[in-house]
Formats: sequence, C-alpha cells, structure tokens
Amino acid sequence: MASNEAELGPVQDPGGEQRVQAAGFVAPLSPGAAAWQARMTGALVGLGWNTFTLIIVLAGWQILTILINSRFFPGPVAIFWAFVDLAVNGDTGGRTLWDHAWASVQRVLVGFGLAVVAGVPIGLLMGLYPRVYANSRVVLEPFRFIPPIAWIPLAIIFFSGMTRFAFLIFLGAFFPVFTAALVGVSRVEPIHRKVGLVHGASKGWILAHVVIPTVLPDILGGMRVGLGAAWLTIVAAELAGGISLGLGRMMSNYAELVQVPQVIVGMVLIGILGLIMNEVLLLVEKRLFRWRWRVTL
Amino acid sequence: MTTAPHKVEVDVSHRYGSLLVHDGLRFSVRENEFLCICGPSGCGKTTLLDILAGILPPSEGNVLIDNRAVDPKRDSISFVFQEPSTFPWLNVWDNVATGLRIKGKKAGELRRRVNEIIDIVNLRDFVHYYPHQISGGMKQRVAIARAFATDADLILMDEPFVSLDQPTRERMQREVLQTWERRRHTVVFVTHNLEEAVFLGDRVIVLSAKPARIVADIVVPMPRPRDPLSPEFTRIRAECARILQSLDPVVAASPPDRKMAEAE
Repeated sequence: MASNEAELGPVQDPGGEQRVQAAGFVAPLSPGAAAWQARMTGALVGLGWNTFTLIIVLAGWQILTILINSRFFPGPVAIFWAFVDLAVNGDTGGRTLWDHAWASVQRVLVGFGLAVVAGVPIGLLMGLYPRVYANSRVVLEPFRFIPPIAWIPLAIIFFSGMTRFAFLIFLGAFFPVFTAALVGVSRVEPIHRKVGLVHGASKGWILAHVVIPTVLPDILGGMRVGLGAAWLTIVAAELAGGISLGLGRMMSNYAELVQVPQVIVGMVLIGILGLIMNEVLLLVEKRLFRWRWRVTL
Repeated sequence: MTTAPHKVEVDVSHRYGSLLVHDGLRFSVRENEFLCICGPSGCGKTTLLDILAGILPPSEGNVLIDNRAVDPKRDSISFVFQEPSTFPWLNVWDNVATGLRIKGKKAGELRRRVNEIIDIVNLRDFVHYYPHQISGGMKQRVAIARAFATDADLILMDEPFVSLDQPTRERMQREVLQTWERRRHTVVFVTHNLEEAVFLGDRVIVLSAKPARIVADIVVPMPRPRDPLSPEFTRIRAECARILQSLDPVVAASPPDRKMAEAE
C-alpha cells in the first residue's frame, strides 16, 4: 500500500498544509472519487445479482404451485394479491396490514430499546468489575436459559398491552446485548489503557476513549443478535393471543380460517421488517467502524 | 549540558512477591538529556519505565521529577511502547493529538502542535489514514509523534524499534534524534542493543541481569551524528560490551544457582 512509499522518506505534497488544516477534529476517510465510483458500481452489481436470484426463486416457486395446484400451497402471485388486499382493504376485522405491522414494530422498538439501555451499561460495568459479575452470576446466568417464550404465561397474568410485549422482548434481547458488552471489555488492550494512564487520564477518559471504542463493535453485533431474538419473541407472544393487533395475531387469525396466502404475507413482512432493521444497524456499523479491516457479517 | 540541573532523580528497589527485580537503582537524568538504559533481556527494563512513569509504585524508594514525587496527572510524561499502541479507531492525526487532548490543550494550540510534529516526522500525507492502513514502522512513528507532541517533562521509550527491520530501525533512530534536537525533551530510552544505546545516548547506563543493579554509567562525549564505524564509537561500544559480558555467568546461571547467589 501507500505505506511503503512513506518509508522511503518525505513525500513532496504542495497541498498538504491545507489538508492538514482541514483535518481538524473530524478528519473524514475521504475516499477519492474513483474509489467511490468503484464502490457504487460494486453495490449496483450486487443489487443486480440479488434481484436475479430473487426472480429465479419466485419463478420456480410459481411454476411449482401451478404443477401442484392446491389451495394449501399458494404461489407468489396469490400471496401478492393477498398482500394488496390486506394492505388496502384490511383483514376480517377491518384492520389493515399496516396497523398490524406498526403494532409489532412499536413493541419491538420499545422492548429492544429497553434491552439496549439496560444491557450495555450493565454489561460494561460487569466487564470492568469482573468481581461483580463473578459474585452475581448465579442469579444472572440461569435467566439466560429460560427462553423468553417460557415467560409468556406469566407475562399474560401480570401484564397487558405494551408492557407485556416490552417485557417479553426485553427478556429476549437483553442477554445478547449484555453478553456482547461484557465479553467486549476483555478485548480492551492493556497497552491502550496504559497510553491513557501515562498521560494522566482519568477513569472517565479511559472509559469514554478506550473502553467504549473497543467494545462498540461487539455491542453493535450483540444488538443485531438481540434484534433477531426480539422478533422471535414478539411473534410468539402475539400468537399466544389476548390482543387483537400485531402481525403474529393476524397470522394466527388467518391460520384458523385456513387462508394460507394471508399467513405467508405475515411471514414475508416479518422477514422484510427484520431485514430493514438489520440493514440499518449494519449501516451504522459501517459508518462507525471504518477503522476496522471489514465489517463483521 | 553537564551543568544542566537534575530533572529526574531515581532511587528505587522493586520486587514482585519474593522476586527482587531492581536492587537499589539510583541515578538521575539531567534536563534535556538523552539517557539510554541498556541491559540484558528480562532485567526489568519495562518495569523500570513503568515506575519512572508513575503508573507503578516501586516497593521501595521514589522517583522525583523537579524535586517532587512523579505524578502522571500533574507531570507531563510521554511513553513510546515496544508494541503497537496507536488507537485503531482514530486516524493518524487524532492519534497524534491524543496526549494533548488528555492534557486538555485548547483547540487552536492543539492543532498547531499536532501539525508541527506531523511535519517533523513526515506524516503529513497520512493524517487521514487509520493504523491498519499503514505499516508497522509508520505506526511507531505515529506513537513517537504522539509522545513528542506534548510538552513532556520526560519521554520514556521502551525498545521502540525492536520489531522493525534494520534499515527502518536506523532511519527511525536518526528521526528520533532529529525530533529530539528540535525539541530537547528529557528522554530515557531503554534498549538491549548496545549499538543503539551508544548511537543515541548522551549517557548510557548498563544494568545487570535480575536483580538489576547499575554496573556502568558511561558518558558518550561524541557529537552527533555519530558514525558507528569511528574508533571512538567502537571503543565505547566495546567497553559496554565488556562490562555486560563480565556479568554473563549471572545471566547464564540456572535458577537454583541464582537463588544461592542472591542468598550470599
């Protein structure tokens, strides 16, 4: 790379001064226009291939449904029309697909948000003070092995509405986030801490400028796992009933009516919503962690 | 230079449990002096630097900077480590600025100093690069720039070039001298390489193997740049080597023998 060049001595660069000035505090990675173009081209090619794969799979599926010809095995076309019908006219109770989806998304965001808000500081605290963790893990660890689904019966007794779902999703998403932060702390390089110490940095400085930058990639990774757990939990909780809104509820209703296309619409929408949220987190990762070799996938 | 006041005064003994690491190390460093400390591997050189930096309290004795006990929060101390110590999440510019930021320098002053040192160490074209994008030698150069960017009362260097190839190492030695000549910080440079010590230092302190004692304190009265092939350089280097070699039986002694030697 360019580094070899640098080893050979000073490089003449008349524009250097201005760039150094411009660097200031928020020095951007500033990829050249060519590099940016190359990246965009790469992204477009990727998009093209993904579209191609999607079309092939959908076409194969549609052909299969024509061959099988059963109302229990609908094809993409039938599912598409069910989707349009649900989105425009709503379900048997008059609630549209968006009402259901929004209810589910809200629950996921609230429960997941609580899990992050609690999981990150507790994980960091226990990572930084391993004795706190070592002396309390007998209480903490068993909870990890009680699946959030197992909490549903209790949650139905104790809570209703948003509280119930937030509680269940919190249980599902907390441990991935907590564990990521806890384990991430052990990745802090002693030498980086020492850099702070010799310059007389406070504990707060080391936390903010050494620990958190080191742990952040792990936390983001834990958040993506937690998000998966959150969706798993919400659908299970909604299937369990007691409410009228939510994608899980909608799917359950149509399953009782043996209307397969509508059930699959719910499944597909959950997949798409999960994908979008995951992509948003990935985007954040890419922006935050340009300094890494590559983004973990 | 010999008339300059004592900047740092050291008088320490240190032990890890029952293992005596430093046995009454007593020396001082003058203001603006470039002191090299040379000793066999495992004689506690890194530990000594941690003590000098004030981040490891010695078992006995103390370290004084300007006649006060060393305190990293008050004194301005910089450290160039043996292993890579740049922050991978910061680019070159921000890495160099780290020490100044901890010391709470104002933005304008900070920018001026960082840019100045970046010019001295020829990192100007790489201010936007992240550590993973540059070579090991350049990373070490960033760490050196970070150390020299502050108004350090004392700069400690722990075998900073040990992992570099020979040509890079030689160029970095010259660069450090150039940087030091521009800024005249007080430097304590630790190495196990005699040639490096004699090439760089105003003075060379030679340590014995564990438990470390000062076995020689040699002034290198040669002007810089020094020629490692000159007769005087060779003579000083040979003198240091002879002293180190005379200690060899201690180095080679097996652990039980050493225990007996300690008991005596």
